[in-house]
Amino acid sequence: MTEIEERQGDFEMYFGPAHPGSGNFSVRVQLRGERVMKAVVDPGYLHRGFEKLMEYREPMQNSVLSDRICVLEPLQWNLLHAEAVDTLMGYDIPERAKYIRVILAELSRIQSHFIWYAVMSMGTGFTTGFNVAMGYRDYMLDVFDYITGGRLYPAGYICPGGVRKDLPEKAEKKILTLFEKIDYMHKFAKKENPVWLERFKEVGVLTKEEAIKLGATGPILRASGVASDVRRDDPYEIYDELEFEIPVFDEGDAYSRYLIAMQEIEESKKIVKQAIDRMPKGEVKTSNMKPIVHFRKAKGETYTRNELSRGEGAIYMIATGKKTPYRVKIRGPSFTHMIPILKHLLTDSYYADVPAIYWSLNQCPADVDR
Amino acid sequence: MKLSIISEIFKNLFKRPMTVLFPMEKVEISERERAKHKFDIDNCISCGSCAKICLNKAIKMVEVKEEYKEKYPKTYPQIDLGKCCFCALCQDICPTGCLTLTEDFYLATFDKESIIIDPLKI
Ligand code: SF4
Ligand code: SF4
Repeated sequence: MTEIEERQGDFEMYFGPAHPGSGNFSVRVQLRGERVMKAVVDPGYLHRGFEKLMEYREPMQNSVLSDRICVLEPLQWNLLHAEAVDTLMGYDIPERAKYIRVILAELSRIQSHFIWYAVMSMGTGFTTGFNVAMGYRDYMLDVFDYITGGRLYPAGYICPGGVRKDLPEKAEKKILTLFEKIDYMHKFAKKENPVWLERFKEVGVLTKEEAIKLGATGPILRASGVASDVRRDDPYEIYDELEFEIPVFDEGDAYSRYLIAMQEIEESKKIVKQAIDRMPKGEVKTSNMKPIVHFRKAKGETYTRNELSRGEGAIYMIATGKKTPYRVKIRGPSFTHMIPILKHLLTDSYYADVPAIYWSLNQCPADVDR
Repeated sequence: MKLSIISEIFKNLFKRPMTVLFPMEKVEISERERAKHKFDIDNCISCGSCAKICLNKAIKMVEVKEEYKEKYPKTYPQIDLGKCCFCALCQDICPTGCLTLTEDFYLATFDKESIIIDPLKI
């Protein structure tokens, strides 16, 4: 303890990385009794060096790598990486591929929000919630398996130039049946659970000003009263043609972050249904790309950003006419949520609230470390 | 609130569990599942594209055993399943379609050597 004057009864505790509810991330909290005096975040347990790895691989190979940036939403990262390469190569993506991309990205958002609900439940001892959410998420994984050939990892299904394969037969029907199946999960999560209210209401309050100052994005920013969403502000793919709401809450506490997740699931379902209705027939891959990306033709740089389920994710890529990108910089949305915001919210909270605050930020250590 | 809990309990008492009793029961495997490779050596033109695209360097172009050399004189892909991430890029790039991924995902083994598969055995 350096900055805080040490007193009798002060001690230090580790929350993670071996805590059952922490993921591959650690927070060192300095306690005075039950109160957290200071929190020191300690990332780096899941660093795999994607930015460097991508400098040694071709875009098609990188699209497989991009799955792994965030284990909880691989399809969203696939899409982001593919868009960055598309921009550099000047690919014209077929309309059908754009629809498939959006359908998969939104399905990925729904399953990621299910995990959010699951870990929030787990963190606060509500294991039934965890089991229900993970169980229903599994039905979604079956659909991913049906479409991409992998339950968790699509292996670059959304690739530069479109998607690797067209949707299989009856995929649309499967998705709509899935929505009926997972409806129960939504009803379950929406029930006013007194324990849930107690644990999350007025806990971890992030004001609008703080959220902006500390660099919050996505659901965390929207739960603090700022209506910001890349899908609206800087539309990509076909989002400008679709109708959907952006849920916003002013309270900024953990409970409103949970409400945002629940409403976003509904909005994502709306998007997927619209996309399925309007999806045209045709090619799913751009014609000037067979079967790999000729990256030597690309020159210049791009900063591509998307609305991932955890917030704004971005890829900055430089091409210099070589087979591989010269530089790739990945901006994971969890970084700002986990470093400055978590630190800020934990300071002066109660130790019992640490898991609730920690998980209400919808973090993914994998995209913090990259 | 309490009533709804009781109705939930009754509903769940008679519901089938989400899990299945493996290996007696199995969940449906997708036709697109990417698992163990299948290789048709007679159609392979030894172009080496699969080895080049593999991002994990799981494919090595090797010669076949002495006794088969006369029939298959060139080099053919040998796959190290321990390195493979089952991305199917090799399948997509193969010009003759002789290297494909099947649905056979039962690959657990105690023998490390057995996961490096010879071209004639894939
Ligand atoms: S599936 Fe992917 S990792 Fe496996 S051998 Fe083929 S290219 Fe390599
Ligand atoms: S398996 Fe296909 S890609 Fe590999 S060497 Fe043979 S023909 Fe070429």
